[in-house]
Amino acid sequence: MAHCGSIPVKTTRIVEAVLFASEAPLTAAELARASGDLKASEVEAAIDELRREYETEERAFQIYPLGDGYQILTRPEYAPYLEKLDSVTRINRLSRAALETLAIIAYRQPVSRLQVEELRGVNAAGVLRSLQERGLIEVVDRAEGLGRPLLYGTTRTFLDHFGLRSLEDLPRPEELQITLRAEG
Amino acid sequence: MRLPTPTGARIASADDRFVVDLERFQGPLDLLLHLIRSQDVDIFDIPIAEITAQFIAAIRGVEQRLTLERAGEFLEMAATLVRIKAQMLLPRRDDLFDDEDPRSELVRRLLEYELFREVSYTLSNAEAERALHRGKGYVEPRPPPRVLEQPLELTLEEFLEVSLSLPAPPERRPHRAPVRPVTVDEKVELWLSTLRRKARVPFDWFVQRWKTRIHAVMSFLACLELAKRGKAVLRQEKPFGTLWVYPGEDDENS
Repeated sequence: MAHCGSIPVKTTRIVEAVLFASEAPLTAAELARASGDLKASEVEAAIDELRREYETEERAFQIYPLGDGYQILTRPEYAPYLEKLDSVTRINRLSRAALETLAIIAYRQPVSRLQVEELRGVNAAGVLRSLQERGLIEVVDRAEGLGRPLLYGTTRTFLDHFGLRSLEDLPRPEELQITLRAEG
Repeated sequence: MRLPTPTGARIASADDRFVVDLERFQGPLDLLLHLIRSQDVDIFDIPIAEITAQFIAAIRGVEQRLTLERAGEFLEMAATLVRIKAQMLLPRRDDLFDDEDPRSELVRRLLEYELFREVSYTLSNAEAERALHRGKGYVEPRPPPRVLEQPLELTLEEFLEVSLSLPAPPERRPHRAPVRPVTVDEKVELWLSTLRRKARVPFDWFVQRWKTRIHAVMSFLACLELAKRGKAVLRQEKPFGTLWVYPGEDDENS
């Protein structure tokens, strides 16, 4: 990061201002456009600089990578204090059915309703509809064959909801704690 | 196949310990996996007769305990287990044909399901961790100040002057009513499913995911409908305050 020092302070502050004012993650490209003709790599260097600054100054917030973008979020240790305010938005957690369905879609996308139902052994129509309404999944394609069923995939909102940078952040099947107990 | 029902005098049997709260389980695969994993059974060599008996005991009276559709899912699995059990009793001809173990398809499904169930736990943890971080807009803006009823201070001359400066009204065009993209019934269903999971829901939060007015209107009509049916209770502390929606008294039976 030797070139960090060569970035004018002003650039860093512009990136900071845009991030500060945003309610949603912004990609490096979006930040670059807002900050005047910067390269995405320069924006990323600015973000690194800001991150280090917030760290050393022990700020209550930090810049977090979410999906393909960045957003300023409060640090986890301040969550209890924020929750004491009665005007806060309640974060509603997903049901087990929703989480299992999302797990299947995340790994198997594009996937049809029938495939989800086959894997979970239960009807999935209601869960798929509510996940779609929350913007966590979307119809990405239609399958070939009879009835041309809709195929679902995960969205940017999905990555944001789980604090993931990309689907690569999900554990690989072999990393999961599954006891096969193959040999007796 | 007949399933014994919990009604009437039932002789307590050893199977009673398998009677479980089916609502806790996501479906037949979840329940079956629970039976297998909680007993240290080798999943590649499932004692099918034993597990089938336990499964049937666990879902005893399922048709009364769950909705018809969910009950059907459990019954279908029971039928599958009984079929596999029957196939296991038939003589195998391993030496002649490459006969597949009748259990292998079920084992494959169970392992696959278990994998995704495991991922769902990972997702749940990630969700909890992410929920500790709050972005801008998390604290809601203050409600707008109330507009006071002020007397109109205006002379007729002023009014005339202003009205003359306005552009002529646009010519009348036939009004086209757009097709409603959403119905009250759909919103009623969504409210019901939301209220089943929550002690109370702010109306604003419910409608904020749709940006269009029609969704808000339909959601509100659905609220009124549910309040009328006694399935929801609406409460607003003060004008322009948050409209809270609570589950109604008899919500459990829906």
